Parts: sequence; C-alpha cells; structure tokens
Amino acid sequence: MKWILYISATLFIASIFSACNHNFDHIPVHENTRWEFSPQMYHSEAYEPVTQVVDRENYPESYNTSPGNNGMNVRMPVPNTIKRGFTPYNVDKDSLNWAAANLKSPFTVTEELLAEGEVLYKRYCSHCHGDQGKADGKVAEKFKGIADLTQDRLKAASEGHFFHVISKGKGRMLSHASQISQEERWKIAHYVKEKLQKTE
Amino acid sequence: MSFLKIRSCFSLLIFVPTFILFSVTVASAQGDKASAASGNQEMIQRGEELFKGNCTQCHAVHEKVVGPALTGITKRVPMAKIIKFVHNPAQLISVEKDKYFVDLYNEYKIEMTAFPGLSDNDIKSIVAYIESVPPPAPKSKADTGGDSGEVASSEPKKDYSELILVLTVITLILVAITLLVFITVIRKYLKDREDTLAEEDKELVNQKFDINAVIRSKGFIITVSVIFSMVAIRACWVGLMSIGIEQNYAPKQPIPFSHKLHAGDLKIDCGYCHTGVYKGKQANIPGVNICMNCHSVVKEGPVYGKAAIASLIDHYEKNKPIQWVRVHNLPDLAYFNHAQHTVVGGIECKTCHGQIDTMQVVRQHANLTMGWCINCHRETVVNAKGNAYYDRLLQFHESKKKGDMKVEDIGGLECSKCHY
Repeated sequence: MKWILYISATLFIASIFSACNHNFDHIPVHENTRWEFSPQMYHSEAYEPVTQVVDRENYPESYNTSPGNNGMNVRMPVPNTIKRGFTPYNVDKDSLNWAAANLKSPFTVTEELLAEGEVLYKRYCSHCHGDQGKADGKVAEKFKGIADLTQDRLKAASEGHFFHVISKGKGRMLSHASQISQEERWKIAHYVKEKLQKTE
Repeated sequence: MSFLKIRSCFSLLIFVPTFILFSVTVASAQGDKASAASGNQEMIQRGEELFKGNCTQCHAVHEKVVGPALTGITKRVPMAKIIKFVHNPAQLISVEKDKYFVDLYNEYKIEMTAFPGLSDNDIKSIVAYIESVPPPAPKSKADTGGDSGEVASSEPKKDYSELILVLTVITLILVAITLLVFITVIRKYLKDREDTLAEEDKELVNQKFDINAVIRSKGFIITVSVIFSMVAIRACWVGLMSIGIEQNYAPKQPIPFSHKLHAGDLKIDCGYCHTGVYKGKQANIPGVNICMNCHSVVKEGPVYGKAAIASLIDHYEKNKPIQWVRVHNLPDLAYFNHAQHTVVGGIECKTCHGQIDTMQVVRQHANLTMGWCINCHRETVVNAKGNAYYDRLLQFHESKKKGDMKVEDIGGLECSKCHY
C-alpha cells in the first residue's frame, strides 16, 4: 500500500505548488476593501498626498488626517509665497494685446522642441482644438465655441498670444495654468505656430 | 431637393434681387434657374468657409453658444446694420445705443469681437450660408433608442463557453437516462424468459448493485480523501495568499465619473487631468478647477445626467474638496514613482491600469503584488535609447552579459530600490 502514499504525497505537493503562481482572478469586483495583512505597514503615519484614512473608529492605527485644513492632507501654499525657482505670470487676463506684443519665448525653435510641443499639444489641447487645430476634437462637439487655430486671425497672432491664452483663458476657455507649466505653454505655442498653422 | 431649392431662393431674394425676379418669373426655364442656383451655391460655399473660420468659436446657426443663434438673422436686422455691427460692434452698442444690440449685450454680457477684415461681400456670403442651413430635425425616439443601444453594446460581450458547457452536461444526462431506460427494458425482457437463459447470463441479469460495498472499499476512501484534502488545502492556500490583494476593487465614488466617457469616447488624454503622471511620484487626482475647464459649459452628461455635474459645480462654488476614494492603494512600505515609469521607462498607463477607457467605474486591474512588480522588472528591457544616463551602464552590461539589458540587470530587484 506504500505506492498509494507516495502518489497522494506527490499530488499534495503538486496541488500546493499549483497555487503559487496565482493570478487572483477569483477575487470578485468589490466595492469595499478586503482584508489587510498588516495595516500598520500599509498606511502612512505621516500625512501623504492623495491618500488619507479618515475613519478613526475602525482604523485607529492608520488614521492620518490632518486636523483643520478643510479636512485635506494636501496643504494650500502659504499666502504670498511662491515655490522655489518659479516665476509667477501675473499679467492681467484682459491684457491679451500687451502680452501678444511683448512676451518673448525663452526657447529657440528646433525640431526636438516642436516634437515635445506636439506631445504636449496632443495631451492638453487636441481633444478640443483637434489634432490639426481645426477645432474638431471630440469634446468640441459638446462644448461648442472652440477656436479654429488655423484661422487667419490666429495665424497673424504671435506666440505670446497663445502663451497668454493658455495661461489666462479666453472666451469659454478657462485658465490652464494649473496643468501646464510655463515652459510647456511656450512649447505648445511654438508647435501651433510652426506646425499646425503651416501645414497647408 | 425641392426644399433646398426653395431655401436658396430665399437667400437670393435678400442679396441679388434681380436674380430672384428673374428666377421667379421664368420659373419654368430650367437652365436659368440652374445658373442662378450655382452662383448662389458658390456664395454659400464661401460663406461656409468664412463662418467656420471666424464665427463658430462663438456662434452656431441654430444654437445659442457664446453668442446668439444666427438663423433668421435677416428677419431681425437689416443687412446694412449687420455689416456695420460686424465691422465695429462697439460703435452700435456703446455709441449709437441701438436697442436690438444693447439688448443682446445685456443678455450675453459680452461684446462681439470686431471683424474689420471681412468685406461686405464676405459678410453677405456668411449670411447666405447661415440662411441656407436647414433647421435640425427634432430628436426622434429612434435617436434615443440608438443611444441606449450603444450603452448596451458597450457591456462586456457574453461568454458562450459556459452555455456550451451547460448544454453538453444536459445532453449527457439525457443520454444517461435513455441508456438506463434501455437497460431496464432489456433486463425486464430477459427476466420474462429467464428459463431459456444460460446460468452465467442468469447471474448477470439478477446482479444487484451494492453501493455500500463500494463506499467501504479502500480504493474509494483513499481517492475521496485525497481529492478532498487537495481541494481544501488549495482553497486555504488561495484564501491566505489573497489577503491584502485588492484586485478588482471598484469603490463607489462620491460623484459618479465615467472614465469610459471621458477617456474613451471623448479621447481626453490621461495626462490632461492626472497632471502629475509625467512629472512626479503621484499621478494626481485632478482638482475641481480642471473639471470646470469643461463643466463650466457642459452641464448635462449622457450617462449620469444633470445631478452629478450639479454636485461637482456645488463643490467648486463652495470651494470644498471632493473626497474621491482612492482605488490603487500601494502599501506604504513600498515606494513607487509614476514619472520614472512613464517618462524614463516609457510605459503606457494601460500596462498597469488596464483598459481604463472602457471602464464605467474604475477597477483595480493589476494585483499590485510584489511578484507582479518583480516579474515586470525581470522581463522589461531598459528603455536606454537616447538617454545618456544609461550609456555607461549599457557599455558595462554588454561587456559582462549577453542579451538585452533588463531592469533586473541594473538593480531593479534590489530590496532597497522600493523598500526603505
């Protein structure tokens, strides 16, 4: 009867190891979190951005919400301060003509710069203004009132014009300053001027 | 077709009275009519180009956008005044205080941009184009039906393998029943003429199935216990292994937000909202101001209607943060940096997050275990092209080892890379 023992032992081991390389597909779609292994090591005791445990009763060990501060862990910048190495762009929204006439790009136009500009344009602009700047992006169908970047009026506009509009908004477009850094705005402006407006 | 012709006649009436007289009086003369229509067609075409290039930013023909809907403009304002207004809106609004335009200004709270560059003829052709556009057909029920059909078709396709399996099982059961019926019938038939059968066959016919003997047999007990313990051990093992794994976690968010709509249908790039993903450790949950870039205007969605967007705007106006529920929770004991993977590694979002652009509710796609990280670090070739940082590493690697330089070759499996 020894052979039965051997076979069953082999099967045991095989069954155990077959579980090793598991893909966890058996876990169903669930709305609430499941068991945690060691919560103390999973949740940061220090305040972390975009992660916050607010349930003090059920998770006393992982509770890490800043008191006050509107319930957020992310802090607002202290008033009247700027981050290191940052120059704020404080031209008034209505001073578009001044900005268009006076602002100068810090970049010299190269192919690499335009390639970077294209990536940024496709990321931040094309869903409204369209891949070719013809205001035919998918969002434009719902949003309405989107500028065709290849129209004559904008072909005559300077890079500074685009920089200012991205920074401060114009018409229905709101300021994109929180998403797009100043360098990126210049790159997009160059791409629009050098590529989109010169295709025809 | 006839409708179009009537429309074009209207615009002719406005701009080229001689033509219209001509075409109305000699309505039967086909040739003349055609030539008039083609001249008009050119004008409309030019008008369309100009309209799309200059006006659509703020105007639509049948819809209020930034400015008023323009259809029927010639019935409201004489042509001369339209031209004057387009050339210099401020003149009519602030200086002459024309009642019609002052009312418009008060309604829309914005003064139109002046277009002194458009000639009188340009403006006339734009108006001709506007008047030539037929009103949109009212939304029929078929349209809305189409919409819901789209939603239905977007659901995951049904897997038919399960159905096939069930059908096979049913067929097999039916076959078994038929065979049983056969056996009983034959046995009964043979029993009736038991006398004519040989001794061996008699035994076979009268044989009884003893289930107790089978259950008590050693082979049966061993087989069942082995199978049972295998299943039990595997279930325990899998259960223990999946503690702390949150694959398929799809929490309910305070405001329902469809990634399928925004990232899939509207083709908004991930980085437009998750601004940090190419810049730093966190991919960022967008602030409400980024939502408002579009939702300052778009107030009704196709999936969740008006209530969800109204709630969003309420948060914006009260300057109240939205408490989104985080889906991907990497334990604090592991360090992960988005920019390192997206910029340096050039990895796409969907490699780890799955087809977010098809998810109505976002679900954790990967299991985010250490094994999953390690596996990728073992398999992925370092994206060293055009990155001077890797030049010397690459040189060193080529002198020591064969094959591509994988992440593990440059310390991608070191504990302290992620745990410190």
